Amino acid sequence: MVTNNGVRSSAALAALVLLLSACGGNNATGGNSASPAPASSGAASGTEGSAAGAAGNWTGTITMYAQSYTPNAKNIAGLKQQTALQDVADEYEAAHPGIKIEFVDEEFKDYTQTVRVKAAAGELFDVFWGQWADLNNTFPKGIAEDLTPYFNQPNPYIPGKATWGEAMNATVVSETKSPDGKSYNINGDYVATAFFYNKDLFAQAGISAPPGSWAELIETTKKLKDAGITAMSQAPDYDWFQRHFLSDFYAGEFEQIAGYDQSPGVSSLDQSVAIDKGLLNTSDERFMGWWPLFKQLTDNWKQDYLSSDPGVVGSNARNDFLAGKTAIFYDGSWLPENAKDANVNFELGSFNFPVLTQSDTPYTTGTDVSGAVGGPNAAFQFAVATKQADSTMKEEGKQAAVIDWLQFVGTPANVERIVNEHGTFVPTWPDTKPAESMTELANQASNELKALGVGGSSPNMTKNMQRIFGLYLSGNIDLAKATSEVQKELDAAIKEYQSKNSVDLGTY
Amino acid sequence: MTGKTKLKTALTGYAFILPTFIFLIWFMYYPVYQALIGAFTDWDGFNAPHYIGLDNFVRLVGDEVLRQSTINALIWVVLSIVLAVVPPFLVAELIFHLRRERAQYVYRTLFVVPIVIPGIVTILLWRFLYQGDGAINQLLKLIGLDSLQQLWLGDPNIALYSIILMGFPWISAFNLLIFYSGLQSISSEVLEAARLEGATGWKRVWRIDIPSSYPQLRLIVILTLIGSLQNIIPPLIMTNGGPGYSTYVPILHMYNVSTVNGEFGYGMSIALVMFVIILLLTLINMKLIKSES
Repeated sequence: MVTNNGVRSSAALAALVLLLSACGGNNATGGNSASPAPASSGAASGTEGSAAGAAGNWTGTITMYAQSYTPNAKNIAGLKQQTALQDVADEYEAAHPGIKIEFVDEEFKDYTQTVRVKAAAGELFDVFWGQWADLNNTFPKGIAEDLTPYFNQPNPYIPGKATWGEAMNATVVSETKSPDGKSYNINGDYVATAFFYNKDLFAQAGISAPPGSWAELIETTKKLKDAGITAMSQAPDYDWFQRHFLSDFYAGEFEQIAGYDQSPGVSSLDQSVAIDKGLLNTSDERFMGWWPLFKQLTDNWKQDYLSSDPGVVGSNARNDFLAGKTAIFYDGSWLPENAKDANVNFELGSFNFPVLTQSDTPYTTGTDVSGAVGGPNAAFQFAVATKQADSTMKEEGKQAAVIDWLQFVGTPANVERIVNEHGTFVPTWPDTKPAESMTELANQASNELKALGVGGSSPNMTKNMQRIFGLYLSGNIDLAKATSEVQKELDAAIKEYQSKNSVDLGTY
Repeated sequence: MTGKTKLKTALTGYAFILPTFIFLIWFMYYPVYQALIGAFTDWDGFNAPHYIGLDNFVRLVGDEVLRQSTINALIWVVLSIVLAVVPPFLVAELIFHLRRERAQYVYRTLFVVPIVIPGIVTILLWRFLYQGDGAINQLLKLIGLDSLQQLWLGDPNIALYSIILMGFPWISAFNLLIFYSGLQSISSEVLEAARLEGATGWKRVWRIDIPSSYPQLRLIVILTLIGSLQNIIPPLIMTNGGPGYSTYVPILHMYNVSTVNGEFGYGMSIALVMFVIILLLTLINMKLIKSES
């Protein structure tokens, strides 16, 4: 019995090893090989509705995981019934007999792992939800098609535009490129973030208006605390708040940082070079300069979640707010929808991250950075699987059909229609308008996308920074220790970046 | 039986166990081989792996997070062994000393019934109990011990102990039954002789019951040691290794570098080292049990 148990224990580890190694059974050999764009994909351009695109003669089923835009979802928690994407699919199917669009109605608790495992098995969805940072840095290279060649050609479903790229938000396209200048997704929406607050609890504390400045924000949380109300209680997301502060503090150097890769927008290469040059690192006092300022705010919060992983306690903290236990909650533009679903019994308000002044911190440039956190990281972010990640793409003509479907979905009219039906994100493409419910937060999207931060150099960097951030805010380590730990993380991250991307940062 | 018949009988036997061997090799030995090979590569879980020699192992030696994780794991192992041995043994003793067999049966059953609750439910329940406004802090407030209220999972100085100590009163049904069966196996002659010699109460426990339970004790110690080194679920669900790295353990590190970072090669090198350690402990266990028997 002992022997059996001992062996079983060894077997358990072996099974775990199996989990890691079994994925190697279908190794791709040409990870980065993206198939060339069809030579004449734009041949039918110019005539809306009449163009059949480049779907060719292929017939079959195209699978698509559309995350928050999944139509008629039954298995995805918190997703309202929506039909826009299904309507678009129906129109496509009608124009392309023999092609069926099938939406994946599943909820994935660990999406990154799902993508890794499915891609390793060659079973990734034909079109899948993929945010640019994940596609550029987190997912293995070679799982998504390089869409850049298609962006440079006409989209047959967009009359009047010489290229598909012209119909898109040029800044977003530039900012979301990979270190080697490739675009792996079409990026059509924007998520806004804000401080949401419980108007009833504000009134209870005698506060008549939301804070309009950093000093007022701190004063408001103090008043709430003094009134016996929990002002805020959540794990402050390092990645979110760093973007607010660093985008402000380094606004003067934005062009310099964004220009290292000779391309607009701040890519992971730009970030890595800025870290390497001592700009976005602890040798520049601005880099850690916002931590004590932010701690002034969190000192008025309930301390429960400060040092926790936002991924672990995030839903608890949100539920506390929706249950009326906390007065303010910093979250994305999906929160009003969550509040509606939860039938909250208080009036919900929101206010933006305030513009800082010299009296708040000498490092501020006074830039409005309220839109620096959200950005092009919502759900209309679709990538196409490569043949290595999705073996069905090897079928003759399927890849062209999938790209054609993506071009059909990716028109300004469809972006607006799909994004606005959902109602919690903002369409970003030219010639699109936000839904009425989003107009208050949509002004963030109209700001220039000049967001700065670190995190793109290594997939685990943000998580590790979060650990240090939490320990500092909860008073478990001081600023000197935090600074030293942060620098270690930055050094490790750029070392990893150089090694993984075969880049010598010293040449920039 | 002729040689031919013998061969036929033997081949039939081998044919019956062949499927088992195929699965054994495919699901147990081949993965170990894969991990052994993968540990020397930079495999990202998708693209073709490249051989990188001992780089992963060199990195492993200098990995500060792994060092912290190993210290946490050692604390975890030691405390887990204490909790796996002491409370179940005491309860087994109490039940064993009940006069009525019917009562022994009832108590045994009562302690074993909770085994039907899935472990994940217990973990989630304790996460709620440990919250700032959870039941533990509320109870402390109720009895006037406000000063003892803690951020059980939010304070890096106590989070590890909070996770290890969840599951009060730590009566593992499996361990309880093993100790109980060990006590039952002590012959009545020995017990009678001890009673006549005046070895009753605690004296009997120290002089008779504990020495007689050494085989059970060894078994539980080794299984707990192996189990606690492999235990990823509590830290993953309750804190994901935080605050900071205060509840990080090597197996969680292996999981995160593989699934978050996509560094499956490095994850395999951690897995390989853990495999070797656990295999050594298993061999020690087997040797000890063999010498005992």
